[in-house]
Amino acid sequence: MPSMKTSLRSRVLVLTAALAFILPIAQGTVDEAHDYAMEAATPFVEQGYTVREDYWNGEVVSGQKLAIKHQLFKGNEYAFWLGTANPDCELELAILDVKGQPVHMERKAAKQTVSVRVNPPKTGTYTVVFSVKSKTERGVTWALAYGYR
Amino acid sequence: MPLLCGVFATGLAFGQGSSAGVEKFEGGKFPGFVVDEVVVPVPSEIFAVLDKLGSPNWKDELRKIKLPETSDRIELSLVFGDVVAEGFVAVQAQDKQTVEDIGRDVINLAASLGLTKAVRPHAQSILDAVKKNDWKGVRKELDQTQTTVRASMQEMRDDDLSQCVSFAGWLRGTASVTSVISKACTEDRAELMNQPMLVEHFTKSIAGMSPSARKHPSVAAIAKGLLKIRQDMESKDGNISQDKVNSIKATCEELLTLINKPEPKKGK
Repeated sequence: MPSMKTSLRSRVLVLTAALAFILPIAQGTVDEAHDYAMEAATPFVEQGYTVREDYWNGEVVSGQKLAIKHQLFKGNEYAFWLGTANPDCELELAILDVKGQPVHMERKAAKQTVSVRVNPPKTGTYTVVFSVKSKTERGVTWALAYGYR
Repeated sequence: MPLLCGVFATGLAFGQGSSAGVEKFEGGKFPGFVVDEVVVPVPSEIFAVLDKLGSPNWKDELRKIKLPETSDRIELSLVFGDVVAEGFVAVQAQDKQTVEDIGRDVINLAASLGLTKAVRPHAQSILDAVKKNDWKGVRKELDQTQTTVRASMQEMRDDDLSQCVSFAGWLRGTASVTSVISKACTEDRAELMNQPMLVEHFTKSIAGMSPSARKHPSVAAIAKGLLKIRQDMESKDGNISQDKVNSIKATCEELLTLINKPEPKKGK
């Protein structure tokens, strides 16, 4: 017959395991995702890019494609930085014109980030399409920031 | 800043197999979510292009803003957006005195809106940066001020006021841009006015406001003005004529005059 101490420890372990199964496991926040995006932005800032203080962020199902419409001005060079707080993710990021043609260049992937540059051929609305796919998590965080020079 | 994801399909769709992981447009429904949050460019994004295309006299574009004596929060929010955008013009003109005045106006307006705690650090940073001729720093703080004010308003469930800050700032920025373009209009410069998505976003924002905000005289006038601006931006190839640039400029100026000189309330 188990001792009282062992029995209590077993009950705590079983309860903890049950809670871990039921509750979503937090893997970072959207603020952390933004921190990663800003990490990716750092070398660009050194090259003269101005980072916008306003940005997009959220939580989404792993692998779900997202699209954002954004105004770009011909004559500026832009860079977009996508970050996630979730480790072991595949990040995709593309900038498309009104016809859905890609206009970005120099895609760079690093730990929990991806960045692209774009010189818009015309002033107008472009679509930023991206996704964050985790190998282990059902939900992921993301933050998308941009800069210009 | 937490943002919501919109859940509606667009007309875009994507195929597989193009180079370097890039997907090509093929038609059909977009297999994902369209995030409906719009990040509005700050005036300095367009000013930067104008500087590359010529040497505008930014001092000519400065305007003196007299803060209205009002407790109307919509009017105050509109003026706030106008003042911050004026700050961006002052940075282009490298006019220290105007930037200092704007820093103080920002503090006063924030007090009237109950946002002193959120805004004061940024306003102080603006004043500190301008003393050091740190124009990049001033620009960054103006951007942060606007972002912080909008976020604070959203936290206070004052989304209507947040939108007022946004489109008033856009109107002021656009008034400057069209003024510069009209003085030396070229196709490259006029093309900068190809912003129908932003105008539609502002129009949609106003339509989504509370009835009392939508019916506010200034907001109603702005809604009407935005429709006119959207028509002027209509173009098959993104090229916008000088006449249309001048028309956009005139509409923006009219609306800014209204924002800065609100009609006196009846019955007072």
